[in-house]
Amino acid sequence: MRGDKTRAIISLIVIALAFVALLWPGGANYQGIGKLFSRIKLGLDISGGARIEYRVDIEQSVENPSEIVDDVWTVLRNRLDAAGYTEAIIKKTFREENSFIVVEIPGATDTAKAEQLIGSTGVLWFGQVVNEATSNPFTDPALVNEAKREKAQWLLDREGKKWYLVRQEIEKITNLKLVSPRIVEAMPVVDQNNVAGYVVSFTMAKEYAEIFKKITEKLYVPEEILNKGGISYQQALKKRLAIVLDNRVQFAGFVVAKITDGKAQIRGNFNLDEAKQLAAILRSGALPARLEKTSSGWVAPLLGADIVRTSLKAGIWGIGIVLVYMIIVYGVMGIVADIALLYNTFLLLGILAATGAILTLPGIAGIVLTIGTTVDGNIIIYERIKEELRRGSSIKAAIATAFSKSFWTLFDANLTTIIAGLFLYYFGTGTIKGFAITLIIGVIGSLFVNLVVTRVLIDSLSGGIKVKAPKEGGARA
Amino acid sequence: MIDFIGKKNIFIVVSLVLIVASLVSMFTRGFNYGVEFLGGSEIILKIEARVDEAYVRNLLQNLAPEFEKSRITQIKSVDDPANITKFSIVVSPKDENGNLRVYTGAEKAKIKEEIVARFKENGKVAYVAGFNETSGYAAQEIKNLTWKAILFTLLAILFYITIRFQFVFGVGAILALIHDVIITLGFFSFFNYELNVAAIAAVLTLIGYSLNDTIVVYDRIRENLRRQRGRSIDTLVNDSINQVIKRTINTSLTTFIVVFILLLFSGNSIKPFAFGMTVGVIVGTYSSLYIASPVVIKWIKK
Repeated sequence: MRGDKTRAIISLIVIALAFVALLWPGGANYQGIGKLFSRIKLGLDISGGARIEYRVDIEQSVENPSEIVDDVWTVLRNRLDAAGYTEAIIKKTFREENSFIVVEIPGATDTAKAEQLIGSTGVLWFGQVVNEATSNPFTDPALVNEAKREKAQWLLDREGKKWYLVRQEIEKITNLKLVSPRIVEAMPVVDQNNVAGYVVSFTMAKEYAEIFKKITEKLYVPEEILNKGGISYQQALKKRLAIVLDNRVQFAGFVVAKITDGKAQIRGNFNLDEAKQLAAILRSGALPARLEKTSSGWVAPLLGADIVRTSLKAGIWGIGIVLVYMIIVYGVMGIVADIALLYNTFLLLGILAATGAILTLPGIAGIVLTIGTTVDGNIIIYERIKEELRRGSSIKAAIATAFSKSFWTLFDANLTTIIAGLFLYYFGTGTIKGFAITLIIGVIGSLFVNLVVTRVLIDSLSGGIKVKAPKEGGARA
Repeated sequence: MIDFIGKKNIFIVVSLVLIVASLVSMFTRGFNYGVEFLGGSEIILKIEARVDEAYVRNLLQNLAPEFEKSRITQIKSVDDPANITKFSIVVSPKDENGNLRVYTGAEKAKIKEEIVARFKENGKVAYVAGFNETSGYAAQEIKNLTWKAILFTLLAILFYITIRFQFVFGVGAILALIHDVIITLGFFSFFNYELNVAAIAAVLTLIGYSLNDTIVVYDRIRENLRRQRGRSIDTLVNDSINQVIKRTINTSLTTFIVVFILLLFSGNSIKPFAFGMTVGVIVGTYSSLYIASPVVIKWIKK
């Protein structure tokens, strides 16, 4: 029985390690039996919290898309930190050639504030206003055609009242455009010419100053033309500069001086609030790509706790009934199956704790399902043992044959479940991944428990196994 | 000994009837899709009073245009306290071009406040316990991924069984799995049970689970094929199934107990999973015994 000794030692070491992983200090602060679970990371659907996912809209032609995603990540990190969301987790994920940014805020009871912060995150760009309209231009074919001709797009202004036809490439000169410039400073300043009004003064980072200079040269309109009116004024209207954020025109106005050093002022007869807001938009660090909210959700911690309580209760009831059922049907071997079941459950929890994998609500369902696979493995082995005994083998021989014959059955049967789990992990979104993880770990664990732990227990209890006399029809050939 | 093979035609007819009924229901009644598949916003509302759907609808229908066509369903678990009712409200806000959109942060905050305020006016304490959104883009993506997941899982399994057994076993297993998937989805359609991402997870798990059962049967056939040359294939397959039937029933029963209790008591979000598994365990066990082997018996090579 040297093999059994090795198996016994391995079984004890593995379960001991699982408990070490579970009870290692530093987990959440639970009391009593809850201590066993304190090191398991809980998904937001259990612990409560908010999750918002954005798709990063990157143009096909971009050379280094992952760099853009990194930049988006940095900008969001800065913004959330600045707003006090230091506990927020920002993750990059990729699916099907698309990049996503996921923001998770544990314990948050609402995403509204965070979303507002991230929400106004469209690309900031400077463009040329070619035309304007007061009603929806998409209902007027002439205006739609004009947009095509001018290679420009109709965009609403911030209040949603007026439409502007804006073109990124200034005067249709290729590459003369300014998208996502870094603005190092922006603030409201009292307008020297107008006592009641404010202007927004801003400074562009050095690397953008040159192109901004070229743009202001092209769009420069001397002030006397603005005052004179007439045909030259009509022409000047086509040379207005627009600041666009989130596909909304935040500001449209004339360039009244060539700007060589990247320092400029926006004049728009603003009151203090408007000026502050525009400054904040400029300053907040424009994102290098547009973000499209694809999904968001939050679970109140209370609701999460409710669901966990009922689901756990259901799980424990289920386990309890299965434990009793196994003893009734299989006697001593049923007790072994019960031990195997509890062993695998704690092993699974231990692995979750050790690897930091996240337990989600579907993950609990995965654990519950693991009960099925563990019990199944034991039943396959037991039925084999019984069969061998009916054939007239000695109990020791029956056990040995049963284990060796069951190996490939268990292997094939469980591997297919793992295959399903892997695809579920690869294609799954959100909390479903958590289900796939617990399912895969659980199935591998049940294979180990069936072949190693059960073996030790069955061998040591083999004296207690009773075999019913063959029923009518006798032993099968 | 049960005669599985002799009566195989009866069971094939039973299965065909179930499959046809399922397909008819899927195409006429359709599915009660979860918000992840439809796109839109789902608001989970918890009210500290006993009220019904009509009451909630009446209170909220002029909140915003999309609330007029909202889908309001009560969420129940066996264990819920008597004085609390929970509702799921699914709305599909549209943008100016009529496309599905998601709420901005500010809009969400406003809707939440407004809902709570309306209940307060009527002397009820209510709070928004969840606000989940899925954009049209994400819904489309989830649909695509789901189909791919099911398809690739089936292909991988066909490949694996072909290597480990014979191609014909692979075909039998896949037929049984398609049978299980269609009938389980049929149940979702027929009982109008919410088909969400968790339900699809159940379908995929079911594929693994039902296959597990099927493989145990195949494994025994393979073993008997090696040992018992000369016997008719019909008897051999029938014996094989009978040899493993106790295991199949005990395993299925224990799994069934667990998922059925989960269905009765679990919280709302994994209920569709538990429902899919409960139906799936029964259908999967049946197909492993009556469909997977009997249908391919003619082609099994000795």
